Parts: sequence; structure tokens; C-alpha cells
Amino acid sequence: MATSQEILEALADYQVQCNDNKRLRKMQRDWTKLLHFIADDNDDRFTMNVVKGEIVSFESGASGTPDIVVTSRSEYLCDMFWGDLNPSQKYLQGEIRVKASQEDVMRLDAITMIIWPDA
Amino acid sequence: MTELRKVLKLRTVISTSAGMAIATSCYLAGLQIATVLVGELAWISVLVAGFFCLLSAMCFSELTALYPSAAGIKLFIQHAFSERVAIIIGMFYVVLGIAMVGAESYLLSSVLTSTIRLVGPVFDRYFWLFFFVFFVAYINYRGVLITGIAQDIMTYVMIAFLVGVSIYSISKNGVDVVAATHSDRFTLSNIIQAAAVGVFLFVGFEWVAPLAEETTDYKLIGRGMLWAIGILTCTYSLFTVGLYVGLTQEQIREQLSSPTPIPHIVFGRNLFGPVGGLFFVLMSILASVTSFNSGLLNTSRFSYAMARDNVLPRVFSKLHPVHASPWVSILFLSLLSAVVSLLTLLTGQYFFLIVMAAALECFIYIVAAVCVIRLRMKFPDKERSFKVPLGYTIPIVTIVVFAGLLIGLFSDATRDYEGKVLFQNYWVALAMAGFFLFTTAYTLTIVPIFKRKAEERTQARVKRRPGRA
Repeated sequence: MATSQEILEALADYQVQCNDNKRLRKMQRDWTKLLHFIADDNDDRFTMNVVKGEIVSFESGASGTPDIVVTSRSEYLCDMFWGDLNPSQKYLQGEIRVKASQEDVMRLDAITMIIWPDA
Repeated sequence: MTELRKVLKLRTVISTSAGMAIATSCYLAGLQIATVLVGELAWISVLVAGFFCLLSAMCFSELTALYPSAAGIKLFIQHAFSERVAIIIGMFYVVLGIAMVGAESYLLSSVLTSTIRLVGPVFDRYFWLFFFVFFVAYINYRGVLITGIAQDIMTYVMIAFLVGVSIYSISKNGVDVVAATHSDRFTLSNIIQAAAVGVFLFVGFEWVAPLAEETTDYKLIGRGMLWAIGILTCTYSLFTVGLYVGLTQEQIREQLSSPTPIPHIVFGRNLFGPVGGLFFVLMSILASVTSFNSGLLNTSRFSYAMARDNVLPRVFSKLHPVHASPWVSILFLSLLSAVVSLLTLLTGQYFFLIVMAAALECFIYIVAAVCVIRLRMKFPDKERSFKVPLGYTIPIVTIVVFAGLLIGLFSDATRDYEGKVLFQNYWVALAMAGFFLFTTAYTLTIVPIFKRKAEERTQARVKRRPGRA
């Protein structure tokens, strides 16, 4: 089970990877969303704010009304932010659950695919 | 449960489910039902088909309640059987489903060729056929989405229009039900046979299930599907009768033997002159574009996900750098549907695709009912926000009914208005069996190679997470 601190560290790295990727920023330039991540094994919650493709902030706890809610085990969330797992595979296995529009589900997966094409 | 900022309402779930089912090919299928049975009593077969689809919708509702995800179809088959079975059936269902687009673009090109003259009938036919396919492909490529409110307006306008003209046609032309009951064609066998074709009218209603992730309450999807089936049943019941009595016998004969069938346009012209025909042209465009657009959207996303899961070649997961659309999947599926359209144009056998689509739906309804039973046995305590009532009765009835319709469909022949055999339906069964064998062989031989290569890449890749390298 990943701790809250481990997930926050993973999110910090994820923020740098996303914001520094020019290709991703171009693709997501119109994408402004509030995301909630829920670790269902320890009930940890995190909020990420994306404005025009840039991750402007993330924090512990669930704040605001989200556009996207991602629920999974803390380990999977942590691995996903580090780029060590393929979120599509876990999604298709039912191990990552997403509440969002189909387009947002795909854009979320696209982030991982562009930053870590081999994940 | 956390609330989302934007959620789908019941009316949009209903309009999406119904909107996917309403297509240009439904007008022709409606006429086919009317001639298999007796036109004035065609509503009986539509009601029977609607009732059967209602049973199936209940099964889909329970499955969606269990797996409220866009990946639902793969998930429930996988958990009921295995991943391999899920890949085989998923690919079979999705790729064959795109063939329906072939019939749709073929029929829409008939409609447009008959109303808008560009160069000449032959050129226009090819032009509209490819224009339609690639126009929808372009919309998908650009990542343009039909919003919920737009879907609501389009679907409810189409339904109101169909109901309105049907009532007008029936009141204008009259329906002699008593005389119709004395017809030689009014037999139980014909009612069932027409109901089998009637299943085609509901093709695609279950494609609303992937929207479960956009709702506040997963039960909305089930409820929306049931409402959609009810609304479609009433609309089609009225329309098949209205269409039949609104055409002359000569026109029906012509339309069912024509390589460019446009029964609804002729019907519109009979009722309201050229303006009526024009209205039906607009309805055709609306119906075809919305159903084809949803079809291509869903299938291209499915192909993308399959490629990301190392089931299809990785090239299918390529995303457009600006629009974030899976452009390779869109291009491949568009070319596939263009080839099917072209083959339909060259052979003129559009009924082949209609029978195939009806058979494909029967097949997937059987799969859904079997999955309900298997999952109840495997996971009896798993939470279900909707459970089909009466124990196993409804899933078993669904299996028996649709297996019966499938066998009946395949053992019959497709005929024209005069009763002349166009083709034996077992050819459809053979074509489908051939494709099923292909997906099976692909899953058993190629997929393991992709999976192994992906595993090797994963092993070779250094983990980034601290302490996991």
C-alpha cells in the first residue's frame, strides 16, 4: 500500500513530466479540468487542477467539484504517476475506475502514452 | 459517491440509446417487415421484436450495474469467461458492427443521388458514398463531439417527426385491420420471421452502456435503455404501418427490388409533395450522420484501447498531436466501412448487411444473457444496483428467444416483394462464422506475440518509482 506522502511525491514528478512535455502541452492546450484521485484501499484523496494542459496545482484531499474522478488502489495510482504502469491495461481489467466523459478518459490515458510511450 | 461537474441526465441517456438505433436503413427494414407480414399488421412484429429487445436490455442493465465502464463489454465477458473469449467476441462484435456503416452509407448515397444531381447518377452515387464516410471520419479525426443537448434535440426531433407523419399517413390513408387479418401472410411463422428482421430496428441501443461513467447513478443507463426501447417500439410500430399504407403497391414493389431504395423519400413525396421528400432527406442525413458518428467514435476508441492493451498492433494507439483523436484507428475503420459500402454498391446486396446486423445483435444479446447467469454464479454477492427480476427466468428466456431467432434467420432466405429468393441466409451465417474463426485465430496466435513483446519491453524498462528500479 502506497502512503499519502509517496503518492504526493509521485504527483510532483508527474507534474514536472507533464508540464515539460511540449507535445503534450500542445495536445492538451484546451484541456482544463479538475481531477480527483481516490485510493480505495486507504481512502486517501488527492486533487489536481489542470488549466489549459498545465498542471497548476495538486494537493492532498478532495476539494471542489471534479470533472474527472479516478479510483484505484494506492499502489496503482503511485505507479501510474511514476509512469511504471499502463493505465489502459488496468482500466480494461477494471482495476482503475474512472468517472468522466469518454473523451476525458482517453485524454487521461493519452498523457501517460505521450510522456512514457513504453509504459 | 463523488458528484461530477457535468453529468448526463436520463433524457440524454434515452436520446443517445434511441439515436444510435435510428438510421436510414431502418426505413428500409421497416418496409421489409411490412412485406414479410401484412403491412397493416406489421406493428405486431415490431412489438414482438421490441419486447424481445426489452428482455435483452434488462440483461445489459444488470451488466452495466456490475461494470459501469466504457470497457464494460470486455469486462463482463472477461469476468464471466476469460480474457481470450472477451477479445474474440469484442473484436467480432465491434469490427462486424462497423460493416453496418457500409449499408448505411450505401442507403444514404441512394437518398442523396435521388435528390441532388451533381454530374450523373453513377458519379453521384460514388461521390456521396465516399463523401459520407469521409465526412464522418473527418469529424472524428478533428475530435468534434456531439454534445448531450445536441443529441437530445436531434433524436427527439426525429422521433416526433416520424410519429407525426405516421399518424398523418394512417389517418389519411386508413388501415383495414380486419381485412389484413384474413391475409395468407398473417401467420405465426411470418410474425416471428418479421420480428427477427425487426431486431435490426433496435441495433445499437446497447451502445449507450459506455456512458455509465458520465452519470450520477448507474441505474440511469438501465432505465434509459428500457425507455429507449419503449419509445422506439411505439415509433417504429406507427412508422411501419404509416409507411406501408402511404405507399402504393407498385411503389413498394419498386423500392424492394430497386438498387437505389428510397422508400421514405417516396413516402414523404406522396404525403406532402417535394417538400415532404426534402424533409425525409434531412431526416436521413441526420439519422445516418448521428448513428454512424457514434458508431465510428465508439469503435475507434475501442481499437485504441485494444492497441494500448497490446491486443492490436501499437500503431492503432497513435494519437493526433493536436486533436488527441486516435487517427490511425479512425482511418482504418473508415477505409473498412468504405470498402463494405463499395462492395454493397457493386453487388447491390444491402439486405445481406441488414440480415447480418440483425444476426449480430441476436448473438450479442445471447452473450449478454449468458454473462448475466455466469456472473451471478461466480459473484453472487457482488453489489448490483440493478438486478433482473424473476431469478434466471429472463436471461434464460432471452437466450432461448434470440437463439431461436438466430436459427430461424439463418435457415431462411431473403426474398423480394414477389417472393423471389435474393439469397439464402446461410451465406450470412458462413460469412459471420468465417470472421469469427479469423478473430479466434488472431486471438490465439497473434495476440500472445504482442503480449509477449509488451512484457519484454516492460521488463527491459527501468522502473522510475524510487526503490523499484
